[in-house]
Amino acid sequence: MRRKGKQILAAATAAALLLSGCGGGAGESKEGTSEQTAASGDKMTDVGTPRKDTLIVDMLSGTQTDPDNFNPYMTGCVAMDCGLHQLLYPCLWEADTMNGEQTCDLAADFPEAMDDTNTKYRFHLREGITWSDGVEFTAEDVEFTSDILSSTEEFSWGSWYKSFVKSMKAVDKYTVEMELVEPNVKPQQKLGVIVFGNNFKVLPKHIWEKEDPATFKYTDPLSLGPYTLSKRDAQGNWFLYEKREDWDKSDVGVIDGEPKPQYVLFKYFGSEEKRVMAAVNNEIDILQDISPESWDILKEKNPNAKCWTEEFPYAIPDDPCERGISFNCSNEYYSNRDVRWALTLSMDIKQVSMATFGGKLKFSPLAVPPTTALTDVYQKPMAEWLKTYAFEDGYKPFNENTAKEMVELLKTEGVENLPTTDEEITDIFGIGWWKYDTDKAAELLQKNGFTQKDGQWMTPEGEPWEIIILAPADFEIESMRLAFAVADAWSKFGVKAEVKQQDSSTFWTSYATGNYDTGAYWPFCGLIPDLTENIQTWHEKYILPNGENAAGNKERYANEELSAAIDKLQTLEPDDPEVNKTVEEMLKIFVDEMPAIPMFGTAKFVPVVETYWTGFQDSENPFEGPWWWWSQFRFYTTKIEAAK
Amino acid sequence: MKFGKFLLSRIATFLLVIFIGVTTVFFVPRLMPNDPVEAMIGQMTSNAGSMSPEAVEQMRESMNSLFGLDGSVMHQYLDFFKRVVISHDFGPSLSAYPTPVMQMIARALPWTLGLMLTTTVLSWLIGNLIGLLAGFRKDKPLSKFLEGIAILMYPIPYYIFALLLIMFFCYLLPVFPLSFVVQGEGFNWVHIKSILWNCFLPALSLILVGFGWWVISMKTMVSNANEEEYVKFARLKGLHEGRIMRRYVMPNVMLPQVTNLALQIGGIFNGALVTEILFGFPGLGSLIYQGILQSDYNLIMGTITISVISVALTTFVIDLLYPFLDPRIRYS
Repeated sequence: MRRKGKQILAAATAAALLLSGCGGGAGESKEGTSEQTAASGDKMTDVGTPRKDTLIVDMLSGTQTDPDNFNPYMTGCVAMDCGLHQLLYPCLWEADTMNGEQTCDLAADFPEAMDDTNTKYRFHLREGITWSDGVEFTAEDVEFTSDILSSTEEFSWGSWYKSFVKSMKAVDKYTVEMELVEPNVKPQQKLGVIVFGNNFKVLPKHIWEKEDPATFKYTDPLSLGPYTLSKRDAQGNWFLYEKREDWDKSDVGVIDGEPKPQYVLFKYFGSEEKRVMAAVNNEIDILQDISPESWDILKEKNPNAKCWTEEFPYAIPDDPCERGISFNCSNEYYSNRDVRWALTLSMDIKQVSMATFGGKLKFSPLAVPPTTALTDVYQKPMAEWLKTYAFEDGYKPFNENTAKEMVELLKTEGVENLPTTDEEITDIFGIGWWKYDTDKAAELLQKNGFTQKDGQWMTPEGEPWEIIILAPADFEIESMRLAFAVADAWSKFGVKAEVKQQDSSTFWTSYATGNYDTGAYWPFCGLIPDLTENIQTWHEKYILPNGENAAGNKERYANEELSAAIDKLQTLEPDDPEVNKTVEEMLKIFVDEMPAIPMFGTAKFVPVVETYWTGFQDSENPFEGPWWWWSQFRFYTTKIEAAK
Repeated sequence: MKFGKFLLSRIATFLLVIFIGVTTVFFVPRLMPNDPVEAMIGQMTSNAGSMSPEAVEQMRESMNSLFGLDGSVMHQYLDFFKRVVISHDFGPSLSAYPTPVMQMIARALPWTLGLMLTTTVLSWLIGNLIGLLAGFRKDKPLSKFLEGIAILMYPIPYYIFALLLIMFFCYLLPVFPLSFVVQGEGFNWVHIKSILWNCFLPALSLILVGFGWWVISMKTMVSNANEEEYVKFARLKGLHEGRIMRRYVMPNVMLPQVTNLALQIGGIFNGALVTEILFGFPGLGSLIYQGILQSDYNLIMGTITISVISVALTTFVIDLLYPFLDPRIRYS
């Protein structure tokens, strides 16, 4: 019923948006009422800045409950992605998502081991950076931050920090010596960005030393980035940032040069329909996640809107978490590898792709996301092994032609501008996926006591087999749709599959407590080839009984070989050639055991509108991924230009 | 003496309703299959992506202790009651820690009261006026026209109506803002104008959808009253139609409408959930929604308790006032 209501709502919106085209639409003449005209004739934003100088960015987390709280360590503080970590709070080490590597930001180099215990490291800070009040940024600030993180019990993240870092000491103005609690060969992965951002935010000692860190709201935060917080909405709907006069003394200024927009406005417009309307009316320059249908409307209504690619598939498939289906491997049927494989082979992945995102998805048969960087490191090199991979009976489940078949299917659907060469097809649709083979799936089930009666699969106990797939409600649209598409596929195969949508709180609690059979979660993430930080959660030491909150291994999948490989990976330096070999061995275990079904690289529709600003990254100019909600955002601001 | 007894019984009922309501509000969220700490960790790990299981476990323990969720449920219940009754404090919000829930409610309440009081009273006045005319002069074309409009609008789901308003007045004919952005601060014309401008469409959607029911109910009651003997007798006496409407019909049909208005005013503390979400309106409805989504126990308890108290209080006041409004009812 609830879903039907939403469908009606979505249909009404889409229809009205399309109908508006018949009457001329909102077109470029309507700049929206949130913009006024100044005496000079320049359009002004509703927060009082010249529109041509203001980059307007969609705010992913929505309205902020307490817009005065900028203490980054206070639990429940204002979400970082309303501009805070994008513009004000740089990390020691950043991520280069296109090349899949970490880079130095506030730190001038990576930690260098001081002895062979792997617990003592030294690193240097970049010189020439000052806080936005003009005070120099030094190692004293890093030491101070480390100290208050370790000593303030109210900081939830600090409780983990002190279990990892024993101390950080300022040796001189720009040198920090760090001691860890336990040996670790790559501390920069824990204290720097590998995905989205990092919790270690350096605080200005000269401000914080006078305050009680547990209660200090840091209402007027200082910045190490090129912008400062200029104004905010008392209701938490927008935050305005202004370029620092001394931008050349910010991290971006020192590393990359001058940011172009004078102002950056992070603003929440509301529902997806309203965000798209705002983009059509040129009231917003950068949009966060929207659905493919919304993109189709935006593309048609605003000629200045553009996505990652100019033609099909438009979306970028480089999100660091791929989508798929998780099994609770401690539950009766799903603890059986044959059952998991049977469910994999019973899906026509092309139809699932069509039903999920209109076929605009990149297949992934491996437990590593098919991002541009990781495709070159793992997906493509392992394609040959996938072709030869066989079950014990010699059956080879891999279909190397899935991508080509997808192109043919899309052609029959009338989709134009599809890739033609093998290389293009692989780059867009991936290296292949598993066969759609219901006979083999049936064989695997029958081998394990399942029977078929009137087209319906029965459990070994003779009961109709029913599967509930947990899915996100009102968030993560791709996983939500994927759950319904998989349910259709399994129902067609004869298993009674039902989707149960849950709000985010219930969805995550079910996952942690094992209160599910299958779920449209995203268990495989990664951005850099060294997957240690992402894959370690699969270690069997994290398994807890159902009902208890597990911190890792929420699939409750036990595998000694895999756990041993994780242990080994943790001892390898990031650039050790053994890293890739070890990860490959782990990926083979995931294929053989299928504790979760990897399906698609997550396709993100994150468009921009180039009416006021141009030069955004895209597939032709991929200086970075379009990760507007990630901490690296401030580095994009030097590349974009005011539209002529 | 009779009034004293009546008053005591009503006070007892009032307190009992609040006790049961608040207790229910405490336990129901805890019966749900979710957990505020897990929700927060889920969000953090899905964003950060790289948090190790050890980090998650450490954070879980820390948050449980910080939020006061590490004791038994009964212990938490007693603490909660003590806090609410003695210090009128719902504790900190779990999703916006450490902001006190009372502070969040105090920030949202003026918006909700302003919007809901205005729209409830206006739709009541407009709806009853049209209903009265439509019922009393049912053969007049204007009455039929107004009644037709009300009947047409009444069944439209209010979220569709709100979306249509947004579509027409923020997008196709962009007169009003797409996002809720209030300019200025304090008591000055720029600020007030900006508030009125931002609130106009949410208010319009609530009034237009809300007045239909008042028209229909009022018209039905007036039509029935019109057929009563005392009205016929007044007409036979040759009284003017306007006087009959004002003195004979209206007083008899207004009582249920006044009761319903009072109950609706009690209910305005719930906010207007969907309207607030669609228009980005910063009221109590949005807070309740946020509390439920984030399993923020304290926020849910705070907002719903305010609502329970306001409905109970309004009912209590109506009970006391009714005998004065309706001569057929006496405290005895």
